[in-house]
Amino acid sequence: MFDSLLLDAEVAIRCRNLSRRYGPVEALKPLDLDVASGSIFGFLGRNGAGKTTTMRLLTGLAQPTSGTAWIAGTQVTEGNGAARAQFGYLPQEPAFYKWMTPRDYLHYVAAMFFLPAAQRKRRVEEMLELVGLQEASRRRIGGFSGGMKQRLGIAQALIHEPPVLLLDEPTSALDPAGRYEILQLIDGLRGRVTVFFSSHILGDVERVCDTIGIIHEGELLTVAARDELLADYATNILLLEVARDCLPLPERFTAALEAQPWLAGLTLDDNHLRLAVHDTAVARQAILPLVVAHDIILTRYEWVRPSLEEIFLSIST
Amino acid sequence: MVILTTTLSVLLMILTPVAAAILLRRYFAVRWWLFLVGAATFVGSQLYHLPLNDWLTDLGWIGPVAADAPHLLRTAAILGLSAGICESVARALGYGLLFRFGRAQQREDGLMVGLGHGGIEAMLVGGVLTAATVSSLWALRGVDLQTLNLLPEQLAAVQRQMSLFEGSPLTIFFAFGERLIALTLHVFLSVLVWRAFAERQPLYFLAALFYHSFFDATAVYVAQFLEIWQAELLFLLLALPALGLLIRWWPDRPLRRLQPLRAEIALFWLALGKELRQQWQTKRLLVVTAVFLLFGLASPLVAYFTPQIIGSMEEAAMFADLIPEPSNRDAIAQYVGNITQFGFILALLLGMGAVAGEKERGLTPMILSKPMPRWAFLLSKFAAQTLVYLLGFTLSGLAVYYYTYLLFEPLTFGPFMLGNYLLFTWLLTFAAVTLLGSALARTTGAAAGIALAGSVFIFLGGSLPNYGPLFPSGLIGWASQLGLETAVAPNAGAFTFSLVLILLSLIAAVAVFEVEEL
Repeated sequence: MFDSLLLDAEVAIRCRNLSRRYGPVEALKPLDLDVASGSIFGFLGRNGAGKTTTMRLLTGLAQPTSGTAWIAGTQVTEGNGAARAQFGYLPQEPAFYKWMTPRDYLHYVAAMFFLPAAQRKRRVEEMLELVGLQEASRRRIGGFSGGMKQRLGIAQALIHEPPVLLLDEPTSALDPAGRYEILQLIDGLRGRVTVFFSSHILGDVERVCDTIGIIHEGELLTVAARDELLADYATNILLLEVARDCLPLPERFTAALEAQPWLAGLTLDDNHLRLAVHDTAVARQAILPLVVAHDIILTRYEWVRPSLEEIFLSIST
Repeated sequence: MVILTTTLSVLLMILTPVAAAILLRRYFAVRWWLFLVGAATFVGSQLYHLPLNDWLTDLGWIGPVAADAPHLLRTAAILGLSAGICESVARALGYGLLFRFGRAQQREDGLMVGLGHGGIEAMLVGGVLTAATVSSLWALRGVDLQTLNLLPEQLAAVQRQMSLFEGSPLTIFFAFGERLIALTLHVFLSVLVWRAFAERQPLYFLAALFYHSFFDATAVYVAQFLEIWQAELLFLLLALPALGLLIRWWPDRPLRRLQPLRAEIALFWLALGKELRQQWQTKRLLVVTAVFLLFGLASPLVAYFTPQIIGSMEEAAMFADLIPEPSNRDAIAQYVGNITQFGFILALLLGMGAVAGEKERGLTPMILSKPMPRWAFLLSKFAAQTLVYLLGFTLSGLAVYYYTYLLFEPLTFGPFMLGNYLLFTWLLTFAAVTLLGSALARTTGAAAGIALAGSVFIFLGGSLPNYGPLFPSGLIGWASQLGLETAVAPNAGAFTFSLVLILLSLIAAVAVFEVEEL
């Protein structure tokens, strides 16, 4: 009763001051986070950034040093087993009893959530169909590929129709075909389940997530809608493609660029010069005269959307 | 009847503190390992309390305890003071460590430590010693005590115990009542010492020390003069202030919301079903029953044919006449030797990976991120192993019985099977220790190492002077005599202590596993 008062209906996951310290190491600095219901939330960070620690705290596999977390209105950090019905969880490397078949395993998991027999039978069939394991449903899991195990992992996480799905790096161990399958599956859940999806693979997050949180060294740096995040940085990258005759670029030109107060960063890849810009209005005025003054010939001039990778790197460095 | 009431009373002494701790755990989310800390403070205190009493006896400060003994009041006072000082100091050391690491901040933590301290005392001093005493008295039925070559005061004590033993079988429940009173007192004393640390007020420590001393001294003194029910009534009156203050100081924090116990028990049965299917699917059930059956069949055969085998060997022919005619006693000896040796190896091999193996393979996060309680996950594994070993021992016992019947004088079926199940209890002790190792370790190899170290400790315990026969190895000697047409010396103390060791190992496994990060 108290928890439901604490949580707005629109918030699927709420963390308040949630932290975990291991001796001198702050694996997760005090985290305040709200994840909207129905969203696919990408929790982005490098290896060791604190993504898995956050997942383990949310699932009760680790105890927080401080703070509290709620999932779908139920506090999940006080060790109450019943609270775990509010979410489905897929760890980074899902493991199963090799002697079981997927059907056995799904029945076992469904029974843990006290689904009545008829509902359990129906949900097992639905999940096998959803993840495309019907044909393999009577084979032992021991012989499954990584992709099949990942799909079975998603099926077991969804078997009890939880409002929230927690996926810890679900694609990191898969080949491109396996990744594609899993991302399709996650995309298909949009609007039905809130998905909290941790990854260090920026392309995957960019592709399926509508909201993105970036965590670095245990600290949440930013949370924003994916399109907002990309739009915020969209006008700040200027791509200059230099004619090959002008290569290598004269040092006085790059020195002059670096001396500009509106320039945030500069990278040169082959003949592509990418300029990160603080003040686009001033940069628009200044850049072309500067190019002309140094006799540089351009074959392309374009203000481009930055990739999520660039945003991630600029935020986390 | 006396066996029934003693068994019930002993079981209550062992299980009551555990049941109280379960309730405390459920209501206030107190960690199980605080129960173990409390148990350690009691056991630790005895490491210097008993030698201290021996030394004071040598000095002549502690004399005989009897109604007509000289200086009884002084003896009672010194015994009370030594118990009060030793146990209060041990409690203080325990809390000192807990407070230093910020691990006992809540009132309920003090209650759990108290339950551990009083609980282990109820199990060892109450359960094990009661069982051992009744077992010894059982063996003395019909024996002329004058022929036992006892000192006069020893003879008087034995006669008094025999008169109680041969009186009403319900008398034994006074021992349980006394343990309940002692448990209440220990919980209160632990809470007092907890307050001394929580409020930085040493007077609470002194109050615990003197209350404990006064209580024990009074108990020693008045027990010599009063009837048993009068003494117990007096102990109850002395413990009433403790009970009143415990109620007054009861934690007022909101109770923790847990899933209903009924749901947790249903999950235990679900996990047990899965474990049993796993035993079947992975052929462990087959291997265990086959090994047990093999030794059951082979033991009487080996006993029967050994003289013939040796006789047929040219090099050993000279020994053939020296080997006595084999009997059913040899069949049992062969069986006990085989089953304890290979049963132990099996318990270690099958148990070491039960939890550690699943941790290694990453199975635990998949299951324990669901409503499955950790205790159910862990204990279902032990329960499944217990059932498999039970089947193995039953089959092997039947095989031994049948082949002994064919080859030798038949065994008495009931007592022989009882002995067989004593060996089963012996094995369960090591299965429980192995499960603890498996819960402690993150790899199967480390689990095996811990289990082996624990087992060696238990084996060595069997060689201790005075207390050695109470260790699980005492069961082997008892089991070896059952079913034969000879007088049997029962050793219910070893059986009870084995149960206590199993229980403590399981509690420790749950305590470790429930705080482990997966």
